[in-house]
Amino acid sequence: MTTDTTIISNPKQNTDISELKPELSDIGLVRPDHSKNVFIDWLTTVDHKKIGLMYGTLALFFLLVGGLEALVIRTQLAVPENDLISAQRYNQLFTMHGTTMIFLAIMPLNAAFFNFLVPLQIGARDVAFPRINAFSLWAFVAGALVVNFGWILQALEAFGLFSASGPTAGMNDFVPAMGWFGYAPITGKEFTGAGTDFWIMGLQILGVASISASFNFIVTIINMRAPGVKMMRLPVFTWMTLIVSLLIIFAFPAITIALAQLMFDRVFGTNFFSVAGGGQPILWQHLFWIFGHPEVYILVLPAMGIVSEVLPTFARKPLFGYAIVVFSGAVIGFLGFAVWSHHMFTTGLGKIATAAFSLLTMAIAVPTGVKIFNWVGTLWGGKIRFHAPMIFALGFVWMFMMGGFSGIMHSSAPADAQQQDSYFVIAHFHYVAIGGILLAIVSGIYYWLPKMIGRMWQGKLNIWVGILTVVGLNITFFPMHFLGLLGMPRRTHTYLSGFGWETYNLVCTIGSYILAFGVLLLLVDIIRCFRSKIPAGNDPWDARTLEWATSSPPKVYNFAQTPIVNARDAFWADKYGPLDRKMGMVDESHGIHMPSQSWMPLIASFGFIPLGLGMSLMQAGVPYAGYTAILGLVILVLGIALWAIEGPGGYHLHPNKQSH
Amino acid sequence: MKKLKALRIWLMSILGLIPLIFISGCNLNTRMSTFVTKGPVAETQLDLFMLTVWVTGFIFLAVGGVYVYVVIRFRDKKGDENIIPTQGHGNPLIELSLIGISILLLVIIAVPTLQGIWYTHDVPDDESSLLGSWYSHGDISDAAKEEPFIIRAIGYRWWWEFEYPQLGITTANEFVIPAGRPIHIELRSVDVIHSFWLPKIAGKVDLIPGRANSMWIQAGDSKEAWIEKNNFSGSDSETQLAYLKYLEDEIYDYYYGQCAEYCGDSHARMLFRAHVVSDDRFYSWIDRMKTGHTKAPDDMNWDNWYQAYDQSPETLTGDINEGLKLFMGRAKCATCHVVKGNPRAVGVAGPNLTYLAERHSIAAGWLNHRNEDNTVDKKAQLANFIQWIKHTDDVKPGNLMWKAKGGGIGELQPLLNDEEIRKISLYLQSLQ
Repeated sequence: MTTDTTIISNPKQNTDISELKPELSDIGLVRPDHSKNVFIDWLTTVDHKKIGLMYGTLALFFLLVGGLEALVIRTQLAVPENDLISAQRYNQLFTMHGTTMIFLAIMPLNAAFFNFLVPLQIGARDVAFPRINAFSLWAFVAGALVVNFGWILQALEAFGLFSASGPTAGMNDFVPAMGWFGYAPITGKEFTGAGTDFWIMGLQILGVASISASFNFIVTIINMRAPGVKMMRLPVFTWMTLIVSLLIIFAFPAITIALAQLMFDRVFGTNFFSVAGGGQPILWQHLFWIFGHPEVYILVLPAMGIVSEVLPTFARKPLFGYAIVVFSGAVIGFLGFAVWSHHMFTTGLGKIATAAFSLLTMAIAVPTGVKIFNWVGTLWGGKIRFHAPMIFALGFVWMFMMGGFSGIMHSSAPADAQQQDSYFVIAHFHYVAIGGILLAIVSGIYYWLPKMIGRMWQGKLNIWVGILTVVGLNITFFPMHFLGLLGMPRRTHTYLSGFGWETYNLVCTIGSYILAFGVLLLLVDIIRCFRSKIPAGNDPWDARTLEWATSSPPKVYNFAQTPIVNARDAFWADKYGPLDRKMGMVDESHGIHMPSQSWMPLIASFGFIPLGLGMSLMQAGVPYAGYTAILGLVILVLGIALWAIEGPGGYHLHPNKQSH
Repeated sequence: MKKLKALRIWLMSILGLIPLIFISGCNLNTRMSTFVTKGPVAETQLDLFMLTVWVTGFIFLAVGGVYVYVVIRFRDKKGDENIIPTQGHGNPLIELSLIGISILLLVIIAVPTLQGIWYTHDVPDDESSLLGSWYSHGDISDAAKEEPFIIRAIGYRWWWEFEYPQLGITTANEFVIPAGRPIHIELRSVDVIHSFWLPKIAGKVDLIPGRANSMWIQAGDSKEAWIEKNNFSGSDSETQLAYLKYLEDEIYDYYYGQCAEYCGDSHARMLFRAHVVSDDRFYSWIDRMKTGHTKAPDDMNWDNWYQAYDQSPETLTGDINEGLKLFMGRAKCATCHVVKGNPRAVGVAGPNLTYLAERHSIAAGWLNHRNEDNTVDKKAQLANFIQWIKHTDDVKPGNLMWKAKGGGIGELQPLLNDEEIRKISLYLQSLQ
């Protein structure tokens, strides 16, 4: 049933590693390899699995932060003319809720799965550039810190430890409050303060993190597949990772340019978006959405990939129409660049452009629908086992469908004129984001966490997580369709009574608390899984893809011997298929070359913190801010230079020495 | 049994939606409902929306139905643990036909969408849409006769200005339009992006600084469209009567609108109103707005009043005179506000206050004093004026009337006291 690759046991192996001594790098420093200190080990790691786990942990933290922001928003809106929080605070909260959820929660959650799974699914030992991988992680941390820096200042202000006076008088606000898509000209310095600068610099840094990670995955997937893992044998999740990485590389430059222009407008007084100087605010919207719409697919395609892995496993059937699912993913990615102006139907595009974007938006519904048909087709004739991952994946299909339908409603531009910027839109994209993406991610967590930590879920808490999140999200967001159609605009910190919005708002608020409780239970369940005594075993779900062929958690080298793959669902074929489709093994008796750990990615990316904060504070006229920025740049450059000249290093492991 | 339990969870979740649908079923006729349309633009938009609802509803039932069936039918039954289902990889014929059906269903939406885009984009290009074809009151230029009726909506943080360039009047936050007449709205912004949304009459279009956007609205059907729609046949006078009855019953009303694009601190408090009236009432409103307040308080003419104000202000007594003196003097209101007729109240930075007391709300629709019968609740109005002047920054955080680089009433030393605020409010209430 299983091959040798899965049951290699090597009692001497641990001692092997502990006997290894760190070497000196090319610049004469001791490499932080084989450290007994947990902090040093994790801070300098280049292991894609550890990096994936750190992405996941940070992202879950920011999911909580963003969720908390949403709860305050919903509490404020529970009753009309509420004055729980000020207008300014509300505006900060919805801005940071959107920014946090998109850039600091969902993207890194996806990155966590990419990191952990892609090398395992293609039978590789790590990503192509392990140190760049670490750099991406720490740059993400730096960016997250810069974006959220305003909250720290706000907290200090609340305790009377900081104020915008004296040298910091130019900072008339701390936290961004212009909406997560920051439409010019409200981002101009006559309308918003230092918060906007933190947001600009934070997103730039996050962009660096995303782009470097994406190149890494593209190179990994193209070049590091184990023998026999042809492109059309890649697991769908890996395919989606590849497509998403390409999307990031093509989409992020647009927002990078837009953010740079905005920064120049604010810091150096240029006129890209400032009307007084002849700039065009509408330019921002085009640049932003050329990034922003592909970004939607950057968020959702990994979710589709997860579901395309979970459904076949628990239906015990291959994915229906593999090629078409992959192809439609690519078509979605491609068309995603051609529909950006459907976010701008009310900006006066003119008849022709409106018509073109309307039709293209309808067109993108086709490949999306194809995926749903194929998921249903996958289930048809299967033996559906209702384990936790499957429950969430089935929920994903249903909820995503509902989000998709309101998407089709938006595609009709005249109808959208009533829906745009109303709560109808909020309902639509939260069905996609929570009902779609988040449920898929939860499904992925239930599916792969046993693989990641080697322990199995215990208890039946997952059923309650499922009930509460699904019921909660429907109670929260279904009434919002009606709120929007009854005329409630989004991003309003309060509303008058008498417009028929009171009941809906109260129901939404109650729903949001149910949803929040569901997410809390999920965290409890995750913690229980970490404390579980039940070993997961290599293959707890009777799964189909390569990552289940190795141990749980996988050893640092992933596979003791690189597998040779002879079928699409490689591990399934190995278990149940004919002899000629079973896996083989590459002879690696010469040992496995492992990359050395390094401080340099951490140092280089932490240069972004003074760089980002310095640039932000410079606009507000804070003294020495410019020098801080230069210091950050120096750290960054120095880190990268030392990284280059310290040499790759590396050491060899011999996991199979005993058995040979 | 575990499996059945899981199934039950999903059924429960789906059942949980049903009460929500019931809640939603009730009362779609609210102030800003897009379901109750009062004009051809909103009607086209609603028709398209309902079309998408039917088409997606059909897909939902079809796909969702199959989905639920599949999940129940192909669940793993007891004793099946070791049965491995057929490892089918797909069926191109099924795939292609499903893609074909999807495209077909989208075409059903696409064709009317294109028609809708063209129709809702601008005032219909025909004779009856020109101002000259219906405007039968006073002088308008020959050029204006060949244009549609134009209103210029200008967005400020956080209030609205409405100019009628062909008629030479300006008002703020509440504007008046005749029923059944197409109107070309020019959308302009002086600061950030706003969005003009009058849900019962038309979906929104943005006001973008540095960009000349426009849209068209029409409250109620034109007579010709109404006749056609209702297949009405009768003599001219019968038709006229029936049409007027339709306007009377369904169209003449007070409509609620709001800014729909986030524009800063008080975005939530940037509302506006449209008062849809008959041609005759519209003409008389225009006349009043054109002439403005020809008399100063106590029926004095303005020259005499200002002579007194300049030379012996103490002779001007009474709350209203005192209020106007503050308005012109210490409170500096006239620096930013126009009150048509008053020769020295000519500031243009703030809302035009001509006949302010006849409006049903102040502070861009946030503070309301409208009775059900469309009269003004005088008591509430006074309270609103007082609240607005006293707590400007709470009612509308961040606004320029409170703080404007030394020009705001929040920067007065000392602040206006309660007595002064009451007098100014009484003066404002006399603007009717």
